[in-house]
Amino acid sequence: MIYGDKKTGILVQGATGKQGEFHIGLMNAYAKQVGGRGVVAGVTPGKGGKEVHGVPVYNTVKEAMQDHDISASVIFVPASAAADSIMEEANAGIQTIVAITEHIPVHDTMKAVAYAKMEGCCVIGPNCPGLLSPGEIKMGIMPAGLFSHGNVGVISRSGTLTYEVVDELTRSGIGQSTVVGIGGDPVIGQTFVDVLERFAQDPQTKAVVLIGEVGGNLEEEGAKSTDLPIVSYIAGISAPPDKRMGHAGAIVEGGEGDARSKIARLKKMGVPVASRPSEIPQMVRDLFKDHC
Amino acid sequence: MKLREYEAKNVLKEAGIPVPAGFLIRSAEELAPHLGVLGDAFVLKAQVDVGGRGKAGGILMAGKADGTKLAKDLFGRQIKGLPVKEILAEQRLDILHEYYLSLTIDRSSKQPLILFTEAGGVDIEITAKEHPEAIRKAIANPLMRDIPPFMLRELIGTAPKEIGSIINKLYRIFLEKDALLAEINPLVTTPQGVYAADAKLIVDDNALGRQGFTVNRDLTEREREAEKHGFSYVELNGAIGVIGNGAGLTMSTLDLIEFYGGKAANFLDVGGGAESERVMHAVRLVGSVPSVKVIVVNLLGGITKCDEVAKGIIAAEIPQKVIVRLAGTNEAEGRAMLAEKGYEMLDTMDLVVKKAVEVAA
Repeated sequence: MIYGDKKTGILVQGATGKQGEFHIGLMNAYAKQVGGRGVVAGVTPGKGGKEVHGVPVYNTVKEAMQDHDISASVIFVPASAAADSIMEEANAGIQTIVAITEHIPVHDTMKAVAYAKMEGCCVIGPNCPGLLSPGEIKMGIMPAGLFSHGNVGVISRSGTLTYEVVDELTRSGIGQSTVVGIGGDPVIGQTFVDVLERFAQDPQTKAVVLIGEVGGNLEEEGAKSTDLPIVSYIAGISAPPDKRMGHAGAIVEGGEGDARSKIARLKKMGVPVASRPSEIPQMVRDLFKDHC
Repeated sequence: MKLREYEAKNVLKEAGIPVPAGFLIRSAEELAPHLGVLGDAFVLKAQVDVGGRGKAGGILMAGKADGTKLAKDLFGRQIKGLPVKEILAEQRLDILHEYYLSLTIDRSSKQPLILFTEAGGVDIEITAKEHPEAIRKAIANPLMRDIPPFMLRELIGTAPKEIGSIINKLYRIFLEKDALLAEINPLVTTPQGVYAADAKLIVDDNALGRQGFTVNRDLTEREREAEKHGFSYVELNGAIGVIGNGAGLTMSTLDLIEFYGGKAANFLDVGGGAESERVMHAVRLVGSVPSVKVIVVNLLGGITKCDEVAKGIIAAEIPQKVIVRLAGTNEAEGRAMLAEKGYEMLDTMDLVVKKAVEVAA
């Protein structure tokens, strides 16, 4: 595990909304299964005193932290309020913030991430599915049934594509240490570089699958930054230039971030790049043969 | 969403960045009343959203005598396939030097990136490649409303001091207008002072509402229809319609089509937790594209309920063949419903895509 474990107490912002309520249920079902603490408090301004699946709801993050030992949070609030939630949590002293919310204006994210950095806390996302360390902790919306415990870390800019890859790995008998969805927006808190740094210090993680997309060059920066063995897959090779493919982050940027040149640069660094998700398990096996 | 040149220039002007005197006209006849201010040397600029507009014949030099005739001519033209509906008639500047200035978001540092070079103009991209050292860069702190003076001094070097204040004004525009890009190229010096001769502003699609825009003009009609349902949708030109959940998985499905030698007709991401009615709209929308021969549905996830998806596919009642890969909650129920109606279902994305490529061929 790299961002939390069984002992981590989680706070959920936007606890009384449809999404928040649904996923508090799922996160705590997972916590129960692995013997973890899970979600211990919720926050929705104006709804203090309520309960969601037996979890007490508070008006502010600081109030929740007075009553509970909390070090991580998951944010489900609407886009217009999400940056404020990030800053409230950073200010209250939460160490790891997972922002699930999509469609946050990028200038809001930029300010919130800069502020969180000043407060010394790390932000995962926004526009991400969160993270899951099998057998330890689930923070976010990943479908736990697909995961299995093991030694491979996964970092991804995508949501469902991550599940696809995790499903492939699990079916092939390759378990995961921690799977982190870092989000698909142009500005995200934790990048490949940041997560790889954590994996490098995690004795459980022996290799990493890096799932990228068209846009930017964060994948290459990540690959360059680490000594861990890596397998990569980049989505968007068929993306036409200048077409937006759902994620703002997937904008094809003047040739630099397009999938083909990204793949070429990764291969040049010696990183094996799968041409489709179903090839990943075999490539991971080959890595283990070469490195372990 | 990209603003038109005249809109971008209005934003600059309001913020105190000098722009040439100009008028927007929608027909050649509208030019006459402005000839007095425009003088004897002005420029007619087609307001079309294409790059390389000048080289494609979208910018004409005009004078008092031939202005109306040239405007009529330009309104009759197509610039890279786009009709000219609006022209910006602008005073011609007596240019001494061209600079380049832009603000974007730097993904690595997660902060605004300022680029400035004394070698601006139409060949900026060649400059960037051949003389990257000529482009000065600075990273701004998004929590500060102004760029510190030292940073401005470092950026402008020996360029006129006025440009420093223009950089700061553009930075404020960038922050206040939720811009993904704010660019002035060229930024020019003239005997009368410094002017933004051309300007480009791209507003974050996620901030259009608070910036006062009701529609995203960059979208086609079908894309707008998709947006109403909360789908992200992109039109391509093949025969295989693609519906997935999540941008990454849907994009990966497109890539797989190419891998197996097929061509995708479009890309539709239904998003998370799709209910039957949304799935129905998605299938109908993709089915409404004339070139679509077969549709691949690739849905995977914890919160997507497969019985809802199956209901939606069946309710859409489209003539094209629909090939389905479903995994998630209530998978067995969903599969049973589709099987009863004779839909083809396969277990992996490789298999559905392979099959669709065969059907489309």
